[in-house]
Amino acid sequence: MTGSNVVDVVMATTMTAPEAGALPVGDPVEYYFEQAWSDGLPVVPPTQAKIDATVEALGGEPDFPEAVIPPRRGTLTREVLAINMVMAGCKPEYAPVVRAAMLALCTKQWNLNGVQATTHMAAPLLVVNGPVRNAIGMNAGHNVFGSGNRANATIGRAIRLVLLTVGGATPGDLDKSTLGHPGKYTYCIAENEELSPWAPYHVEHGMAPEDSAVFVIAAEPPHSVVNHVANDAQGVLDSIVSAMSTIAHNNAVASGSCAVVIGPEHAATIAASGFSRLDVRSYLWMNAGNTWGEVSFNDRYAGGGKVYNKALPAWYKRETNARIPIVPTPDDIHLFVAGGAAGRFSAFIPGWGRMTSPVLRKIGAMPEGAVCADGTCAL
Amino acid sequence: MEYQIFDPRGVVHAEHRDIAPRVASLAGLRVGVLDNTKWNGWKVLERTMALLGEQTPFASVTRYKKESFSVNAEPELIARIAAENDVALIGIGD
Repeated sequence: MTGSNVVDVVMATTMTAPEAGALPVGDPVEYYFEQAWSDGLPVVPPTQAKIDATVEALGGEPDFPEAVIPPRRGTLTREVLAINMVMAGCKPEYAPVVRAAMLALCTKQWNLNGVQATTHMAAPLLVVNGPVRNAIGMNAGHNVFGSGNRANATIGRAIRLVLLTVGGATPGDLDKSTLGHPGKYTYCIAENEELSPWAPYHVEHGMAPEDSAVFVIAAEPPHSVVNHVANDAQGVLDSIVSAMSTIAHNNAVASGSCAVVIGPEHAATIAASGFSRLDVRSYLWMNAGNTWGEVSFNDRYAGGGKVYNKALPAWYKRETNARIPIVPTPDDIHLFVAGGAAGRFSAFIPGWGRMTSPVLRKIGAMPEGAVCADGTCAL
Repeated sequence: MEYQIFDPRGVVHAEHRDIAPRVASLAGLRVGVLDNTKWNGWKVLERTMALLGEQTPFASVTRYKKESFSVNAEPELIARIAAENDVALIGIGD
């Protein structure tokens, strides 16, 4: 089952003595580095057997085109996806999650072309819900955004490798991000449904608890929110409000959508005050924000009638003390519970802005209902 | 030892197209200017047109706007610019 992706290169059968500093010949890991088929870390050299097993898990048909990845517009066949998954270190059973995430990223409203090329630091954040989390051993607990779990790490890494190799997002070339962020290596978590006092995120959005789903949003890194003091919802949420209320993140100038990840201890405190998911999102939306004076720099740069502020969203009220929410509605705050059982921390995660819409996609079978098309539900 | 190498990049299916030939002179041409709606984009384009206008008598200068700076111009808009102008000016200002 070798498609058109086999390179007609056979590595040297004998090791030649490398000159000082030269790369050794005959090392496939170094070969992939030399071709720039890497995220900067060593890749797992694919073998036909590993690719075949992954293609099988993707549904067979290695030449089946799943998507076209911008800006390079390379064709992501199942075989190409499998090659990248193997390189990332994925097990075949991660295939449905990686496939669903890739298809979600390639919906028009997610605007992958823009996210890949932007000077902003946004990276796709994946949040996985449902039974698949435990079936493949994902981490939703301690250090959920950090290192140490194969599924979280390699699912996110496979996405990044596809964006690099098939999408051509080479830094400085088609990826123009000024700074990037560490989530551009991997940025994939699972919701901690077991420790959440509320229904899982995908259930809030109309799916059944036994469904599995992946949510994708173009996101800045998590901003830690500490609160060891409050014993009620208002106190904890006011700390998150504080993190959200700055003119520095992209939501302040480009609105759009964002994510909030509440740690289990904070979630328990908030729920004990009788707050539902909607209450939490409504409270955050109502209280977070800036004034028009703040986001417009009090017209400091509005000389000569050429108003910088014209680029700000039309619905921002142009009066000095008017409150400007960071996103248009409470539904644009995507709320998750994740992290370990101990610790009074949460995180605010700004988005890229209104240039993109997050997407929730069911893993496996297609959902029913008119609000979704081809298995994807725009949020 | 022999290794089989697998190319992870996927194939790009694209038609080759030559770029339009350069015009010999800008004088008397209709120029379309595409505003990408970026914060400083129009400033760059407006200033460029002013400088060009000092030395070149254009037949017309028409401004167009993209829907959003972050997405490609719609094919209909590109077709309109092509139909209504002889040359086009684009630019980005972050």
